[in-house]
Amino acid sequence: MYSIIKRVLFFILLIGIWELLFRFGIWPEYVLPTPVSVGKTLIHGFHDHTFLIAIAISMKRIAIGYGISIVIGIFLGLLIGRIRIFEETLGSLISGLQTLPTICWLPLALLWFGLNDRAIIFLVIMGAVLSITIATDTGVKSVPILYLRAAKTMGARGWKLYLEVIIPAALPHIITGMKQGWSFAWRSLMAGELLIVCLGLGHLLMIGRELNDMSQVIAVMIVIIIIGILVDRLFFVKVEQRIRERWGLVKV
Amino acid sequence: MLESVEIENTIDIDQIKVESRQLANKLNDVQPKLRIQNISKSFQSNNRGFSALEDINLEAREGEFVCIVGPSGCGKTTLLNIVAGLEKADSGEVWISGHKINGAGPDRVVIFQEAALFPWLNVIKNVEFGLKQKGVNGSQRRNTALEYLKMVHLTKFQHAHVHELSGGMKQRVAIARALAMNPEMLLMDEPFSALDAQTRWILHFELQNIWLKTKKTILFVTHNIREAVCLADRIVILSTSPGRIKKEFTVELPRPRDDNDVNVAEYSTRIMKELKAEINKVVKCEMDADSCVECDIKCTTEVPAKTDVGGGI
Repeated sequence: MYSIIKRVLFFILLIGIWELLFRFGIWPEYVLPTPVSVGKTLIHGFHDHTFLIAIAISMKRIAIGYGISIVIGIFLGLLIGRIRIFEETLGSLISGLQTLPTICWLPLALLWFGLNDRAIIFLVIMGAVLSITIATDTGVKSVPILYLRAAKTMGARGWKLYLEVIIPAALPHIITGMKQGWSFAWRSLMAGELLIVCLGLGHLLMIGRELNDMSQVIAVMIVIIIIGILVDRLFFVKVEQRIRERWGLVKV
Repeated sequence: MLESVEIENTIDIDQIKVESRQLANKLNDVQPKLRIQNISKSFQSNNRGFSALEDINLEAREGEFVCIVGPSGCGKTTLLNIVAGLEKADSGEVWISGHKINGAGPDRVVIFQEAALFPWLNVIKNVEFGLKQKGVNGSQRRNTALEYLKMVHLTKFQHAHVHELSGGMKQRVAIARALAMNPEMLLMDEPFSALDAQTRWILHFELQNIWLKTKKTILFVTHNIREAVCLADRIVILSTSPGRIKKEFTVELPRPRDDNDVNVAEYSTRIMKELKAEINKVVKCEMDADSCVECDIKCTTEVPAKTDVGGGI
């Protein structure tokens, strides 16, 4: 409770300094807007639904791209984690590719898909899939052999062994990979939307720049930060914590 | 006319059925539940072979409680794993009710030192796991699981999660989970050795009661002679390096037995005395691990190359 008060005071102070800097009039408004005008833009943006529509469009893209990368990532991770030949071949490719910044896929995405949604979704997939693959691989390799033995003596075989034992046992690792993957996907999405003109939050930022409307730029940045915090803190951190507790990896 | 013929036929078939059942019963008497035949197994360690098991022959009757006792590293867990089908023997065969085993199967469920319950499932779903693999439908599965949870007195905890249970409760769930599969036999690999003395004492009682009720054939591995005397009909002593059957004891004390019972204690001491040489051999080896050339091989392999404990994630 006390820490919340400190945090709130800190942000009030920050906004106060910002307002003060503006009052000194060192920079014109298109370089440094007032907190009030940013606030107004925020309210206005939500009121006339521009922000809501942009959020909806961005979220739809990330939902599709991230969803696909979860499926592909877990599948590839299982292959690499369980089958030697895939580990030796595909595994090295995956760890190599991970050093490549996602935005480097942009030229290729543009040539393959053109200036459209599919190129952005491709970027989102490339952003998230490697983290999820690597985490699943690690998770699968660290499944306690005891679980596998117990499952086998109880007659678990084939895809059921994967679905009901290996994947759940690897879940603490997979969820960590998904969390990291989500933050990469979110970055790739914004990068893609900034460069490919087709609505969404990133595009809204660019419109702000083109119209010299700095308050819109900052307002959209705030929206992007808030969505990031909501998903990371309220979803992933909680889910990760619960899984680790249940799996007995932390003392409750 | 036709009718009478039909009746005669059915009588004949019934007669055959009865006879075949009698024959099957007779066979059952002759045929042991478990037959371990000439099992040998060696491990490679530091480029040297180490004979973990050498020509093991062992049988267990239907409903018999057999304990395998031996010092650590004598290959008793390996033997159990071979019976379970989790490890392959270099030579020899294992037969269950007249069928040669080939790999792990739900007819021989293992209860490990660590309960190996799945933390992503709650207690009742853990007990149902094996039944689900068998394809038993939902409500029947639930009923069977509840029945066995009742047997281990844990129905109250059916919706609890694994991390909320104590060590002893986990093992009881593991026992219920194994029994729910209605296996041909239970294989228990030092299931109580990680528990404190009181819990172990309670579980010895509970296991004996369950065994009296279900009449399952049990193969139980332990290094604790007192535990073996408390539980077993027959105790098989394995020697170490090479792992051979050294001796067998039959325990004929009334049940349920108590760890602290005078007869149990006396019987344990007697077995201990007979095993003194074997124990000394291991102790000596462990004490002068550096200088003892003869037992060097064994000592290096005693670093458990094949632990059953999965370790944390």
